[in-house]
Amino acid sequence: MTAIPIGKRSKKAPASDKTKAERKLGLMLCAPAVVAMLLVTVYPILYAVALSVQKVDLRFPEESGFVGLANYKAVLTSDLWWQGVFNTSLIAVVSVSIELVLGMGLALVMHRAIFGRGVVRTAVLIPYGVVTVVAAFAWFFAFDPSSGFVNNLPFVPDDKAWFGGHNSSLSVIIMAEVWKTTPFMGLLLLAGLATIDEGLYEAARVDGATAWQRFWRITLPLLKPALLVALLFRTLDAFRVFDSIFVMTRGAQDTESVSILGYNQLISRLNLGLGSAVSVLIFVLVLLIAFVFVRILGTSNPASQGERS
Amino acid sequence: MRFVTSLPGYPALMLRGIVIALSLAATALVLAACGSGASSNARVTLTWFIFNEPSGGPQKVAKRCSEQSNGAYEIKFEYLPSQADQQREQLVRRLGAEDDSLDLLGMDVVWTGEFANAGWLAPVPEKTARVVSDQVFDSVLQTARFEDRLYTIPIWSNTQFLWYRKDRTPTPPKTWDEMIDEAEKLGPSKGRIQVQANRYEGLVVLVNQLIESAGTSILAAPKEIDLQREPTERALGILGRLSRSPIAASNITTSTEDTARLGFESGNSAFMINYSFVYPSAKANAPKIFEQMRAAKYPQVDPSIPSKPPIGGINIGVSAYSKHQQEAFAATECLVKPDNQLEIAKLGGLPPVRADIYDRPEIQDAYPGFAEIVRESIKDAAPRPSQSPAYQDLSLAISRAVHPTTAIDPKNLGAAYDKLRDAVQKAIDRKGLL
Amino acid sequence: MNRAPRDYLKWTVGIIVVVFIAVLPLVWIFSLSLKTPATVSDKSFFPKEFTLDNYSTLFQGGFDSPLLRPLINSVSIALIATVIAVTLASFTAYAIARLDFPGKSAILAGALAIAMFPQISVVGPLFDMWRALHLYDTYPGLIIPYLTFSLPLAIYILVAFFREIPWELEQAAQVDGATPWQAFSKVILPLAAPGVFTAAILVFIFAWNDFIFAITLTSSDASRTVPAALAFFQGDSQFTAPTGNIAAAAVLVTIPIIIFVLIFQRRIVAGLTAGAVKG
Repeated sequence: MTAIPIGKRSKKAPASDKTKAERKLGLMLCAPAVVAMLLVTVYPILYAVALSVQKVDLRFPEESGFVGLANYKAVLTSDLWWQGVFNTSLIAVVSVSIELVLGMGLALVMHRAIFGRGVVRTAVLIPYGVVTVVAAFAWFFAFDPSSGFVNNLPFVPDDKAWFGGHNSSLSVIIMAEVWKTTPFMGLLLLAGLATIDEGLYEAARVDGATAWQRFWRITLPLLKPALLVALLFRTLDAFRVFDSIFVMTRGAQDTESVSILGYNQLISRLNLGLGSAVSVLIFVLVLLIAFVFVRILGTSNPASQGERS
Repeated sequence: MRFVTSLPGYPALMLRGIVIALSLAATALVLAACGSGASSNARVTLTWFIFNEPSGGPQKVAKRCSEQSNGAYEIKFEYLPSQADQQREQLVRRLGAEDDSLDLLGMDVVWTGEFANAGWLAPVPEKTARVVSDQVFDSVLQTARFEDRLYTIPIWSNTQFLWYRKDRTPTPPKTWDEMIDEAEKLGPSKGRIQVQANRYEGLVVLVNQLIESAGTSILAAPKEIDLQREPTERALGILGRLSRSPIAASNITTSTEDTARLGFESGNSAFMINYSFVYPSAKANAPKIFEQMRAAKYPQVDPSIPSKPPIGGINIGVSAYSKHQQEAFAATECLVKPDNQLEIAKLGGLPPVRADIYDRPEIQDAYPGFAEIVRESIKDAAPRPSQSPAYQDLSLAISRAVHPTTAIDPKNLGAAYDKLRDAVQKAIDRKGLL
Repeated sequence: MNRAPRDYLKWTVGIIVVVFIAVLPLVWIFSLSLKTPATVSDKSFFPKEFTLDNYSTLFQGGFDSPLLRPLINSVSIALIATVIAVTLASFTAYAIARLDFPGKSAILAGALAIAMFPQISVVGPLFDMWRALHLYDTYPGLIIPYLTFSLPLAIYILVAFFREIPWELEQAAQVDGATPWQAFSKVILPLAAPGVFTAAILVFIFAWNDFIFAITLTSSDASRTVPAALAFFQGDSQFTAPTGNIAAAAVLVTIPIIIFVLIFQRRIVAGLTAGAVKG
């Protein structure tokens, strides 16, 4: 800005030295974190790819060797895998949709708060901070017919076995997810609302726009970047669903998510080859979802804002 | 670019930070490595990985044996989770990692084939084998062998009984069909039947015992399917009939040993298939029901064939990676001595594996009035197809094929049979996802 | 304005509903943790007979008790992971916020991508590698995988905070005669500390929450954390569900989170939303 010495030739050489020094320092400072991140993610993923084309079953150490795409074929031709993909997508889409509506409501209410904003903020942060496994147990015990209070409520059949059916199990799992993560959605949207210029609403009001019109014409379009970021985060997060299912049904009633399937092959069966094929396929699915989102996000991608001149 | 002038102070500062962070990480590594250091004692420490049996029986006899060993060894405990499949996951992961910190393994009776085949178990030496199989029930020894060799040492057994309420049925039914008939007469408010039919190992037990009691088996040999059609369909028919009857527990598709117990203690049930832990539990939680509670032998499927109760319990394996195998086998010889088995039975109600112990009067303390039924049940018991080294796959496949049991249509048993047979075949071949 | 009282009423009802839904499951698990074994399955919301046994049995037997070791493990592992992640992330975030060098946006985008990584994808390879490196069932065996989420999270939050710092102040201080160290410790550190602290709180909460790494990469109390221990508790017999004990342990691991939320709610909100809406 003020002190940049472009004008004088004599100082140009040191300036470019400084630029070099700055680059070197920048890269040096980033190196530890970047190397660490690559080591804990990229390397294992490549390792998984290598395992996925071999026969590796720790229980049968003598049987091993290269099998090409056989593991992938076994996974992709299995009904179980597609059931898992369907369940995972269903949980992600339904829970994120509900969270979006509830979160938007929460954000609007908090934004227009007359008093007690702190109370609401504290209250909604608690579900978000609670350990997922703890939340899953709380909901599990609440709906479990042998200990839960839910079946004791009016209009609920006393002996309803919530975890005895596919739909009712998934409903409770989704409910637990929604309870835990709506606050995150709400807070992100609230932060987005705070960036909208109040003057726009005043002007619209003067022009006679109804509250509904103001929401559709001003709030929603201006909230779009925050909204898309929140959706991306939550969709990819929901796609990893594991803890709640592990605690509540362990995958029974065809409620397996892809992560549970991966766990079963890798850890229960110790079939690292087959399990790694599942892992790699999950990774590809997540990449696909992220790609689609980034396409929609376009220029409002938060990462593209990292550059600062 | 605009702040470049103030840079010089930073690199050193930042680098110092990196050094601090790295040394923190290194400290963590070193600390963790030191945590698992060996004991400084001269005597051999044997680590026994087993679930934490709440009665403290195993701990008591382990202490006794450590003292009697004259300083040869000391048994230390490392606890596994309570559920069998989780215990297995923990053990298998360590054994798969060739971890030498395991000496004695508290193994569920169905793991022998898998562990032995993978080379994780040291075979029991001749001399020890002779001592530890003396007087032991044949059914129990079957679970300890793999390819005709003894790989594990049975310490206690377990089996299920038909628990019934004397006030609702004075004489216990002999067969499953009779039991369901009687229950239906009593109605859903008094006559429920509690079993285990969630998608887990407990369901495999139920299916296996029904099939065995019908006169066939799941496997004929480790890689050969048995499952004769007629008796298997008969067994599946009972499961379907029970699950679809109004006297089934309302949560039958998620039922476990514990939900069955809770259901029985709630008072709406007349019958329950379960292990003996339900007896002291009822005494503590539902004393009125306890007074009416009686045990009988597992129900038959075919009136002309004796019933085949399940077999559970713990066999001790010695890890192939243990550095103290000799001491470990010596310890097992001590742990399974008749007096120690009796002690474990008295403390925790866990049935001895030696037939002769049931002749001793003290056994009546452990099983007041039903010691003879315990002996009979274990004698007649039929193990699950655990001779297969892929038992875990088999178990997952079976429970998946028959769950939910309410989907088994007693009028179309062919479909249920085909599904089960197909699943078992795939599991033996170890094909596909599970 | 005469519609104010109605607004207050509506708002009050809104607060009550939100608070009710937010705390209901926690109140339920707390009340479950106070029930006696005989009444644990009585299906009533509030306990009819109170007991603290569910809590005391968790600590019976000292180091061999079901909860003490896992609790120590959880705290230590989460703390170490937080310190490492926040330290490394501070350098990166400082560089990204302040320096000009190629690849900045790639690093930030990469971190974001890694934060969204499906953990199950690395569990298998890590399991296999840890067996070979003897990291299985150790502290570093968990701390290292925790970097997959803690580093990107910390970088992301810190970049957002560091961009807001008026670095010119430091220059001004040096012009006024302060040494670089004084300028850093007296001017920049106080400005950067809140951001670092916020990142630390959030990373700690995330590490505290982990389940999938904890159940796959540990096998004993040597390194098992509370969420994993919870899932492996055991009841009065091999077959009895330890409902009361799980509930009690669940309450205990929730307490630190509630304390954090009560004291630092502003910071947590700022950290969660950092970067999502601003440049």
